[in-house]
This record gives sequence, structure tokens and C-alpha cells, in this order.
Amino acid sequence: MKIFVESRFKRTLLASAMGLAAASLGAQALAQEAVPSIDLMTTTESYDPIRYEAAFMIAERWEELGFEVNVQPTEFSTALERFYDQQDFDATILGWSGRTDRLDPQFFLSTLDSRQANPGGNNPGGYDNPDFDALFDQQSQAFDPDERQRLVMEMQELYKPDAPLVVLFHRDEVVAYNHEAFGGFEPMAGEGLYSEWGPMEATPVGDRSTLRIGGPQEPDNLNPLASTSVWGWKWMRLYYDRLVRLSADVEPLPWAAEEVDQVDDTTVAVTLREGMTFHDGEPLTADDVAFTWNYYLDQDYSYFNSYLAALDNAEAVDEYTVHFHLSEPSASFASISLSQIPILPGHIWSEIDDASTLSPDEVPTVGSGPFQYERFDRGEFMAISKFDDHFHADEIAVDGVEFIIYADMEGVYTGLQTGEIDVTAWRMEPGQISLAESEDHLTVVNVPDFGYFHMTYNLRRAPFDDRAVRRALTMASDRERMVNVLLDGRGEVGSSVIAPVNTFWHEAFIERFDFDMDAARAELEEAGYSWDEDGRLMR
Amino acid sequence: MSSRRSYLIRRVLHGFMALFIIATLLFFLFRLGLPDPTAALITEGLTPEERERIRASFGLDRPIWEQYFIYLANIVQGDFGYSFHYRAPVADIIWERLGNTMILMLPAIVLAYGVGAPLGAWLSWRRGSRADTSGIFVGLMFRSAPMFWTGMIAILIFGIGLGWLPTSGMRTLPYEASGFFDKIFTLDFLHHLILPALVVALYYLGSPLLIMRNTMLEVYGEDFIEMARAKGLPERRILYAHAARNALLPVVTQLAVTIGLAAGGQVVVEVVFSWPGLGREILNSVRTSDFPLAQASFLVMAAFVITLNLLVDILYTMLDPRVSFK
Repeated sequence: MKIFVESRFKRTLLASAMGLAAASLGAQALAQEAVPSIDLMTTTESYDPIRYEAAFMIAERWEELGFEVNVQPTEFSTALERFYDQQDFDATILGWSGRTDRLDPQFFLSTLDSRQANPGGNNPGGYDNPDFDALFDQQSQAFDPDERQRLVMEMQELYKPDAPLVVLFHRDEVVAYNHEAFGGFEPMAGEGLYSEWGPMEATPVGDRSTLRIGGPQEPDNLNPLASTSVWGWKWMRLYYDRLVRLSADVEPLPWAAEEVDQVDDTTVAVTLREGMTFHDGEPLTADDVAFTWNYYLDQDYSYFNSYLAALDNAEAVDEYTVHFHLSEPSASFASISLSQIPILPGHIWSEIDDASTLSPDEVPTVGSGPFQYERFDRGEFMAISKFDDHFHADEIAVDGVEFIIYADMEGVYTGLQTGEIDVTAWRMEPGQISLAESEDHLTVVNVPDFGYFHMTYNLRRAPFDDRAVRRALTMASDRERMVNVLLDGRGEVGSSVIAPVNTFWHEAFIERFDFDMDAARAELEEAGYSWDEDGRLMR
Repeated sequence: MSSRRSYLIRRVLHGFMALFIIATLLFFLFRLGLPDPTAALITEGLTPEERERIRASFGLDRPIWEQYFIYLANIVQGDFGYSFHYRAPVADIIWERLGNTMILMLPAIVLAYGVGAPLGAWLSWRRGSRADTSGIFVGLMFRSAPMFWTGMIAILIFGIGLGWLPTSGMRTLPYEASGFFDKIFTLDFLHHLILPALVVALYYLGSPLLIMRNTMLEVYGEDFIEMARAKGLPERRILYAHAARNALLPVVTQLAVTIGLAAGGQVVVEVVFSWPGLGREILNSVRTSDFPLAQASFLVMAAFVITLNLLVDILYTMLDPRVSFK
């Protein structure tokens, strides 16, 4: 840190000295200045050794190119704050996790939308391309998938040559399960084995028919109107139904809905499956569905706002039909929103005025899902049991699911080793993968991810305001090596914000910026840069 | 007698003042030092406006002085507030976790001091012998070895290798009990307690052992020991009845400090054995910038240390009549 301060001080001195010299000589455009040095913000080594090492790999090559680079390992939340809220960075290495709803291109494309460039928005780099923004609006209203696909491809072709960010890599999720206890899993991109299908597909091979999952994370709370973590919803979605569920290949499948129809541009009609009941025996009707959606609109639960953005209101037309009235056409409403919002029992929640203030033992846990809630002991254990009256119950081979909460991955792995748990909910540490591979009772699974780690340039600052510099820096970032060395080959080099595993939306033929130092130098030279006798880049 | 009462009142007042200062420090320390509690929500894709609304629901949109006075007023009424992360009353979380921590730490400390102090006395009697040297060595070794290492070795041998003892948590699944006492009065719980408690006890063992041994050696030189010898008392009686009682004071001080700090748990042991104690919770609360939970946990720890120091001072007067209230 000290070195960093010193160098910055020197740089200021140097810059002012040069400014002085330039002024006194009355020098003209010919006088060249050193390109400003770059602070590269990344995570601390203890938070994520991979991003930490990646920063040094990048810095080394950039220095070779004539830049002065300071790597700044930063505590994670502080890094988030500086990157998103304060936009106080030169270049930052962070990541987006692959949540199923992000398989729809909407979210990742929005990270390059100039209307997201305000502080706190999802586009801290400040990429601003009106053509891109216009296409973004068109695709978000395009109902026809083929038409939308074309627009999404075009957007990727458009932003890519500008190199506003480097998609570093997609890291495989490496998880393991005990094949002497359970089988039948079908891994899901971005979700691993602890997907919403995992417990429904698992088939007991050993004596125990209750599936045991172990992980180091736990829900913040199980209030469907207050939880703000993935870990809350990963559990709740097992005991709440949705209208649509995404298949392992991320295809929307009718679930509580029997049919989803587009009535007109702004009306979506959903026909419910008949004969469904909640875990307390009450029937599930269109009233419950309409109630739930309107309740979410009223209660202002931020976590779901993006799914509800297009919705005006929901209306129960008859016992089994719901009409969703949208304020504008929305392509992602039918595919994403319908697959994310749970169905709450209206007869219970209508009594609750302000759901966010419920204390944990007051929160209702009645759903209509394939499993029913049993218990949650914070820091220890969660359990659900199979709901025999569910329409999917015959397909489910387990009696229930138990989730053991460990303090860290070390504990999870020991649990897997000793047979205490059957499946890991979270990716294993690099060191544990080879250990797991040598265990006879364990199967190791590599699941590709569509979330990505990125290095984002601050386009408001020099030298990143120059497209040529960004392109050169991108070519000088050896991502192949990161995947081979840092990920041990378990991952894929990034090429677009829409991952290759997301085949329908991924544009495979755009400029890839393969590692090439000569091309990087040529790019800079062409843009009028030169090098002084110490090899420092001048302009 | 009246001097005793006024002394006690004075000490209790001092204790409350210390707590007030600590509460103030904690309040400002966390707010100035930790990132915004909603920062982590950015990666969930929340917009600035949505995050601002969440901040407002936590009361973080008010001026910091207003927040501070609300916080103080609530503490006086015994209300620690609501956890940002868990959306649950902080008091419920802390009492449960504190119970889990103490049920691990107290047996471990009792074991360490119950074995360590008499052993130290015995070693002093056998000073210079091979037993003495190896006793000191073992005590120092476990005191210096990092607890996560001792813990992992213990898991490797007794958990994975021999398969005798469970390696994580407080109980075997699936379980039914939900009350605290139903939870701990079972053989299964004791089974889970053995490994972590032993690891903690071995770590703490060195302190009472060495303190006792060294103080005993000092006491041996005193006149009253000479006197007891002259009276012809048996060596064993001199050792335990006369010398040990006088050497006990520093050990008692150490014990109180240890118990006081134990409230915060041993984070390392709680992590290695996935024990759902207060230490892990404190770590998490700082990580998620859960101000109410972090403030209250540290305050509870401080209250423990202050109370136990007070108790020790009172205990001193019983152990050693020369100490008086002044």
C-alpha cells in the first residue's frame, strides 16, 4: 500500500513537472506525456485467491506493454462499494454469479446499458452506446424468440469491438456426490447439483432415503418477502410452487400453470392445473395466484422488483385462469418472471399487512410445492419432507431433504468424506477436488457456469476513454493462462457477457481478443502512442 | 461493612460507565469502519433506489446522531434491535448462540483448570524432575499450537481415521428436540462435545499449569511453609492445604479473564467443528455489516469481562483476608 501511495505521489510530481516544462517551453501538440498509471482493484487473497492472482497476471503483461500498474487487493464489500456506488476505480476485477433467471439475456446485457451508468447502477464502467441502448429496448419487447435472438446477437457484435470490459472466464462449478448413497442427478448450469430439480431427481441407492445436502451458506431468513439472498430462495423454491419451472436445459416448463398464452401485447393468460392444494389442505386457485402477484406489487419487496417491473396487476378471471396485465410488452415476463415468483396461500398472507417486519417464528411456511417445510435451526440444520398430495409426488424418490449447515467448505468436505452428507451445495476448494477424485464413493461433477468474472474499465477516466487502449489492454490479458493455471483447466475463457453454455443467446463468431502482445503493441502504435527509452508508454 | 457496600456500588458504577463508553465506541466504529450493509445486494441486481429503501427500513437514512440516541435509549431498555441480515430480534440470536458457546467453553475451561492447577502444584513439588520438564513441555506445546491445527489433527484421527467421534455440529440428524435443555441433556450431545471441548481444554491447560507451578515455587520460600514443616506436618498436607491455597490467587484471576473472554467463543474451534456458537455469528455479522448484531455481540462480551473482573475482586477477599475493600 505504501509503495502505491509513493508512486502516485511521484506520478503527480512528474505530471506537474512535465506540465510546467510544457508550459514554459510553449510546447505544441508534439510533446508526449506518459500515459497515466493504472490502479487495478481486485479481491483480497483470502476472499478469492483466483481473482487475486489473476490481477497480478494481468498487471505483469500490461507493464510489459509500457503501463504502470498498481494492483490493489480490496476487501470484498469495500470493493463493491467503490466499484458500484462511488465508481472510484480505474479497472476492477469482480464477477456476476449465474442465477437461473440470468440465463435470459436481459440482465447481463443491461450491464452495458448507458441508463445503468449512474452511481449504484449495473454499468459502473460507463459504456455509452445509443445504438446498443436502442437494441436493448427492442429485444426486451420482442416476443418472437427468433427475432429476439437476432437482436441479442447484434448487441453482442456491437459492444464487443469497443472492449468496454474483459470477460475473463466462466468458472466451472465443481461439486461432488456420494454415489453409494444417491444417484440420478442431472447437473444444471450455474446451479450444480443443488438445483431445484436435484432433490426431485435423486434416487436412493443405499439405506437412507432422505437426501442430505451440506453447504457453508445458509438462508438469511425464510421470509418470502424479506429474504435477500440466493440461499434463501434456493431453499424456499423447494416448498413453494411457481407457475413455470425452468428445466435443466433452462427451458420453461409448465408447472402450476397448465398453459401460458399471450392474449395480446400486454396481457398474458395463465391457466392453472386443477386440483392443487396447499400443505395445510386448502385448495390452490386463481385467487391465490392473483393475490400473490398483487401482494408482491404492494409490499415493495425490492428483491423481486425486476421481475415485476412490467406488471400492472394480476386478475383472477375464473377459478383456474389468471390474467397478467402488463404496462408494456415484455419478453422476459413469461420466461423469467413466471418462473421466479412463488405462489403464496392467500388465506394466510392476506392477514399480514407488513410482511417484511415479521419475526422468524411468525413467518408462514405453507406452500404448495413438492416438499413441505419442517424446520430451520439457524447455523445448524434445515429439513423439508415430501408432500404426498403434490401432482409431481410420484416422480419423487426421496422422503425428504435435510440440509446441514457447516462453518466452511472444509467441514462440508469432511462431511462428504465420512458419509454425513450426500451432496455438496457449493463448489469445492481446488485442493479438495483431487482428494474427492481419489475417493471410491464420490463422483466429481464439473458444471459449466454462465456467470462470469470480469475486468471492467472505467471509461470516464484516461487512459480507458481511448478505445485503442482498451483493445490493446484486452489483447494483453492472457485469459487462456488464467483458465489453465488458476482454474486448473476447469472453466472456459470468456468471450461475451452471454456465456457459450447459454447456446441460444451466445454469439459465437465475434472478435475474441486472443492473447497477442504484438497485436496489442500494433494497436497502440496505430493510435499514435509511442514508447520512451525506458519502455514507458507515451502519448 | 459500609465500606464494603460503598466499594461495591462504586465498582458497579464504574462498570456501567465502561459499558457506556464501549457501546459508544462500537456504534461509531462499525458505522465508520464497515461498508454499507446493502453493498452486497448490488450483486443481486438491486437498483440504487431499491437499496435506498432498504437502508431506510433499517433506519440508516436518519442522521447519525439520531441513530445513536435511539440506539442508546433502546439498550437502556434492554432492546438490542433487529438484525439486518436475519430480520430477527438480535437478543434471540445472541442468547441462543451464547448458550451454545458457553456449553462448549465452560466444560472445557473447567477441565483445563481442574486438571491444570493441581497438576501445576504437583509439578512444582517435583521440580527439576523428568515429570516436571515433560509437563511444562506438553503444556507449552498445546498452548502454542494453533487451535485449528490441533482441531484438524483431532478430526483426522478420531473422526475420519477411527470413526469414534462426530466431527461437526452439536447433534446427530435428524433430531426432534428444540429447547436448549432438551438439546444438551443427551448422550448424543456429549458425544459431539468431546472433540471440540478437548481441543479447547488442551489449549487452555498450559496457563493454570504454569501459573500454579511458578507461584507455588515462590510460596515454598515463605516463612509459614517453614513453620508448617517445623510443626512436622506431612509434605502432602503442606503442599495442598497451605501452599496451594496461597498460590491460587493468580490462577483465579486468570480463570475469570478466560471465562469472560470465552463469551466471544473461540472462532477457530467453532469454525473447525462447525459449532453454532457466538464467535461464528460475530464474524458473520461483521462480514455482512449487520450493525445491530455486531454491536450487541461485542457489548455482551464486554459485559461478561467486566462482570467477571468484579466477581474476582470480591472473591479475592475470601481467598485472602489481607485484601480488603478500600
